[in-house]
Amino acid sequence: MRILVVEDDPLLAEGLANVLSRAGHAVDHAATGARAEQALTTTEFDLVVLDIGLPDVDGFALLQQLRARHSPASVLVLTARDTVEDRVHGLDLGANDYMTKPFSVAEFEARVRALLRRSAVPEAQLAAGTLSMDLSAKRARVGGKTIELTSREWSLLELFLTRAGRVLSKDQIAERLLTQDEQLSPNAIEVYVSRLRAKIEPEGFRLRTVRGFGYLWDAGNE
Amino acid sequence: MSSTPLARQSIRRRLLAFLVSVLLLLVGAAAAVTYWSALRAANDAYDRALLDPAIDLQQNLRMDNGVPRLDLPPTAQEALMYDQADEVVFQIRAPDGTVIAGVDDLPPAAALVQGHHLFYDVNYHDKDLRVAALLNEKNILIQVGETRHKRNRLIGEILVAELVPTLLIALATIGLAWAGVAHGLAPLARVRTELLARSPHDLRPIPNDAAPVEIAPVVDAFNGLLDRLRNASAMQKRFFANAAHQLRTPLAGLQMHLELLLRREQAPDVRAELERLHKATVRTGRVTSQLLALAKAESAPGIERKFEPVDLYQCVEAGAQQWVPNAIARDIDLGFALEHVVVPGDTLLLTELLDSLLDNALRYTPEGGTVTVQCGTREGVTYLSVEDTGPGIPESDRDKVFERFHRVAGTQGEGSGLGLAIVREVADRHGARVAIETPEGGEGTRIVVLFGTATRERRDAA
Repeated sequence: MRILVVEDDPLLAEGLANVLSRAGHAVDHAATGARAEQALTTTEFDLVVLDIGLPDVDGFALLQQLRARHSPASVLVLTARDTVEDRVHGLDLGANDYMTKPFSVAEFEARVRALLRRSAVPEAQLAAGTLSMDLSAKRARVGGKTIELTSREWSLLELFLTRAGRVLSKDQIAERLLTQDEQLSPNAIEVYVSRLRAKIEPEGFRLRTVRGFGYLWDAGNE
Repeated sequence: MSSTPLARQSIRRRLLAFLVSVLLLLVGAAAAVTYWSALRAANDAYDRALLDPAIDLQQNLRMDNGVPRLDLPPTAQEALMYDQADEVVFQIRAPDGTVIAGVDDLPPAAALVQGHHLFYDVNYHDKDLRVAALLNEKNILIQVGETRHKRNRLIGEILVAELVPTLLIALATIGLAWAGVAHGLAPLARVRTELLARSPHDLRPIPNDAAPVEIAPVVDAFNGLLDRLRNASAMQKRFFANAAHQLRTPLAGLQMHLELLLRREQAPDVRAELERLHKATVRTGRVTSQLLALAKAESAPGIERKFEPVDLYQCVEAGAQQWVPNAIARDIDLGFALEHVVVPGDTLLLTELLDSLLDNALRYTPEGGTVTVQCGTREGVTYLSVEDTGPGIPESDRDKVFERFHRVAGTQGEGSGLGLAIVREVADRHGARVAIETPEGGEGTRIVVLFGTATRERRDAA
């Protein structure tokens, strides 16, 4: 995947580039808004890691231009400023995720993985560790072994993989799996989750329960 | 704030002192003028009547061998001198000065031309007399004097008729001024009420379109001050944003490189050193964030940002997300029991509050422990609480833990001692109270934020 890192601090930029190239991505770096603008108009990126506090322009302005051009790139905003305020602003402008500096490498990697999964083209595969989901054939495999999933379980697993690192509440799950003719009660969600667990846990994948909140695709699954 | 009453000036008193002294002067002057004109009016009215008996006496003078003599029987004299109100006396003096009739101790009138008359006042037997003096062609002086009772009565009547209304008007003026000052100062009272009702962070200008011309300059000057404070506060906010950026960005780079180094193969002693550096870096990052959060909470974000209804359920759900991986990493069972309850508040600050509570709870709870976030209504009070199975806070420390940089003695972990200071600052801003409780099990800590229970000091003072 092609990733643009827009960050003016050389130490951090170098670190980010390092982490991303090790994960096998092609990384470009822009230290200013102008350079970033230039790169974005000439190259199609899958992900932009965007620092808000740039020396020449506001990172939010860059994000706005990007979205105005209908760029399909995912945007992970990095900021050192106010947390919630900037976050809401950034997400409003079309950022896909948001991290406040400083952060751990592991957390950054997890966010990037989830974002790239989401932005993957529909025909592609979703993968987590040895688990892979062939989206066109609707087949899930662990190693070479096929796991039989109902369409509900399939949707649920797909949802967890594209939202890795995030707790999904029962409400959020119900919203995503909603079909016209069926109301999903919290109890029904619990049933689907336990069925999915029964199929993937023997293969070493864990779905954690966060008491009173929802479910989380365990980071150890990656 | 109370200065000595003696030193305090009162607009009302000053105005009244001024009014009373001026009115006293005016009424005094009016009385003098009235008295003088009443005196003239009284003399004008009665002098003519006093001259008549003098003329009568003159017409009854006969010459006996060149000696003048009054040819009037005593009864007629009595009738002539009779008056209802005053005592009347007369005197006739020959040209040589001898008294030929009437009282003999009335002094002669001063310079008087033949054939003319005049009126004058004299003291006679300790009585004030008004005297009409007439000098006829034969140089005979005829004087008739009467006491001033009639005249004084008339003067008194005139004075009463003139001065009583004047005095009433003066008194009414003072009364109106007294009430008028209160009425006139009512706009000031409104400004006072407006200012008292304000939160200390509300620096919006006072509306002065309703302020009268006299108060408008004061309100304008005050608004100017508020404006400068607002600017200062905006500058402070920019400073925080810059400081955050300047501190967090290099820390992020530092932390990232240390983590990358730790992923590589390292000699055990180097690894131990790197781990210490990494720990210190993470801690510096957290303290930086907390200091900024505290500064933000106590500076003035309330200027532009008004309190809005915040659903604590949503606020917790959005903010707690980031704590879940942390809890999982430390094998802590982080759970939630949330109800949809709405409080007026600032989402950003409430998120900082929750972050601080969770940071503390996860930091001090040993691995395998439990942390539970709750919000809802308890006995009619909306609350947000975080409960942990950590070591708990001893009773003796419960007041002190809210102080900045205070850390409970003997606790593990690397707390900065700022978390609960942030919690209290944010709670204060929301009119909420923070209570430290021991959970039902008797172990750990439960910190409860109770909304709408803090009595505001400002109201008490008002």
